[in-house]
Amino acid sequence: MKMERFDVVVIGGGLPGCFSARELSRLKLEIVLLEAREDVCTGVSRANTAVVYPGHDHKPGTLKAEMTVRANASFDRLCEELDVPFSRCGSLMLSFGPRSDAALRKKLRQGRENGVPGLRLLSADEAYRLEPTIASGLSSALYASTAGTVNPWQLGIAACENAVQNGVRLRLNTRVIAMRRENDDYLLETDHGALQARAVVNCAGLAADRVQGLLFPPAVRIVPTAGDYLVLDRNSVGKPTHILQVEPEEGEKGLTVVPTVEGSLLLGPTERENALDYATTENGLAWVREQAAHLLPGLALDGTIRSFAAVRPNPQRQDGSSIHSFCIEHPAERFWSLIGIKTPGLTCARELGAFLARRLAEELAAEENAGFDPVRRGIRRAHGLPFEERKALAERDPDYGEIVCFCEDVTKAEVLEAVRRGAVTVDGVKRRVGTGMGRCQGARCEQKIAALIAEALGVPESAVRKDGPGSEIVRAAHENV
Amino acid sequence: MRTFKLLVVGAGAAGISAALAAWDAGCRDVLLLDRAESMGGILPQCLHEGFGLTTFGQELTGPEYTARLAEKLAGTGVVFLPGTEVLSVSEERIAVLSRRGAVERLRFERLILASGCRERSIGSLPVAGTRPAGIFTAGQAQERINLRHQDLGDEILILGSGDLGMIMARRFTLGGKHVIAVLEQAVQYGGMARNHRRCIEAFSIPLRCRMTVREIHGEGRIRGVTAEHIDSGEREFIACDTLVTALGLIPERELVRGLEDRDWLSLVGNCHHVHDIVDSAAAEAARIGSLVGKRLAV
Repeated sequence: MKMERFDVVVIGGGLPGCFSARELSRLKLEIVLLEAREDVCTGVSRANTAVVYPGHDHKPGTLKAEMTVRANASFDRLCEELDVPFSRCGSLMLSFGPRSDAALRKKLRQGRENGVPGLRLLSADEAYRLEPTIASGLSSALYASTAGTVNPWQLGIAACENAVQNGVRLRLNTRVIAMRRENDDYLLETDHGALQARAVVNCAGLAADRVQGLLFPPAVRIVPTAGDYLVLDRNSVGKPTHILQVEPEEGEKGLTVVPTVEGSLLLGPTERENALDYATTENGLAWVREQAAHLLPGLALDGTIRSFAAVRPNPQRQDGSSIHSFCIEHPAERFWSLIGIKTPGLTCARELGAFLARRLAEELAAEENAGFDPVRRGIRRAHGLPFEERKALAERDPDYGEIVCFCEDVTKAEVLEAVRRGAVTVDGVKRRVGTGMGRCQGARCEQKIAALIAEALGVPESAVRKDGPGSEIVRAAHENV
Repeated sequence: MRTFKLLVVGAGAAGISAALAAWDAGCRDVLLLDRAESMGGILPQCLHEGFGLTTFGQELTGPEYTARLAEKLAGTGVVFLPGTEVLSVSEERIAVLSRRGAVERLRFERLILASGCRERSIGSLPVAGTRPAGIFTAGQAQERINLRHQDLGDEILILGSGDLGMIMARRFTLGGKHVIAVLEQAVQYGGMARNHRRCIEAFSIPLRCRMTVREIHGEGRIRGVTAEHIDSGEREFIACDTLVTALGLIPERELVRGLEDRDWLSLVGNCHHVHDIVDSAAAEAARIGSLVGKRLAV
């Protein structure tokens, strides 16, 4: 059997992998993107704080500072190209005492040095005028007008679709088992056959250290940490309109509050070590509720519709010391690893991809792909369209008149398009069109969506999964009765 | 733009009863619509008996109850529009409707909202753990089993002993499944005594009071929960492959958010307040439907 040969193999379909593939597709290269799961953006990229940072959190001169500032400045254009909603709602870093006041002043200096525009240190009065929902006792606040929020999986999926549009081959359900060098090439063995590539880009998220370890000993290992979040319904009373980040006067972590692009409110995260799975903890959820009640006394927490856990690929040196930078390893020519991409990884996903693409362009002496099209069209949403447009849409495609998800106003046409674009699970549809993200959390649409997936894919409903291996929703027994 | 004197949103027992009563009171211009393809609301999935003792003088199943109402409705000139979602209702009394192939604006004089309830989801509780497959609300489980003929699992744990929780405990048992227990955080069952007798006692299903679920375990599929005895704080692992939540009903009024106090709007049935039995929701709806109908009578 002739082995498939590519110029670049990108391992891992999270945000870094999707954007690496997309940025590499600006070059005349044969690229394949491998993802172990049934869909892209199902790991670290699925659950995080969803913030596009301005860049004042990082020390001047560091890669994180430089990339974040650059990424933030071009985020509107990126989201326009990829047709992904982006809300530049601004953020307030909040201080309730002298120690935090000093921290805010330091962040202001740092931000100015990093070239962050739109930073302003506010008095408590000024901050309350901007955000009257905040509890009393505020001492000062650092306002960052350029902070924003984006839906992380929507952004990743969009990047992946754009990569595929530009010629990248996507291989799902494909896990790399072994790697070796042969002549000048890298040879990858997967659970679905072997392939050969001139270059490897390892973006394997939580497994990135192990994937590099298949061939080169990584200088960095990943020690996952986890965090818990709550999501509140969009109609919750007392919602803030800015991203709020508490700079803790005591203790190590303050709450972050994000008014998401979907309109819901995201609260979190906690931080704990030894994260084994995506399970929330009682203590974590209690902490988020407690902090939220303190910070936003008018917020109706009975509007909680969901809690979830995020896992972050925390990078450590082999001696156990923490690393605060992005770890970009280059253990051999044409082999690159992104290990431990956590905050601000969402903000910098494109920058990281562009960085790797520049390096590989040199190493592979690749030419520019003149046909590269940066524009990806998202799934046409019925919700929010002016009446006449929505009417015309439903008349042209009757499925646009049929509402499947009542809470989020998603039509059958959108669900079917999500499946056409690669969703094979109920959550895959959710990540593409937002079904089940509202106040009933899918109780009323899950079955309908599973049935639509089953029909579109020509499988029985019992084969349709919620999300990932072993998550089939119903049994086969009674079908066809 | 089509115009109706009376728009009734939701064709469950309450909506149909309101539309009927309005017609009988002399309003000859009624549009009744529902997002589902057929009428009855939640009734078609309620295959058990126990409906209609007050209204019809006998115990009917949900589909039978619906059929009786549908029959009455057929004798009137009420227009029924199935498969139609109301996207919005405005201050100007214009509703935007969406159904297969059509989005339209419709003007009305009065609106009766009969949109029922939604079920409280497990996400609203501070329950820790994973979010695997195999967790269903009681209503969702009922629909899947009774209308879609689906097999949800073998080892069933039910959280909440409201009427729906107890009825589903019996439904699973009758379907040959093992109901491990019904957990209830209060000191006794939450639903009606009748349902406790018929669904729990009659089938010797363990009802464990003063207990709740603290954590969910399982990666792809649920494999159990950590349950807590609320008084002692003692915890135990209960293995299950299916968790059914009956956590209560929330009146569904999102459509008229901000318009609740308008004099052209009436709320009837479970979207007004949660009724124990269908008859009482229907009776309340009929009373209000009649009042509204009289005002709109020609």
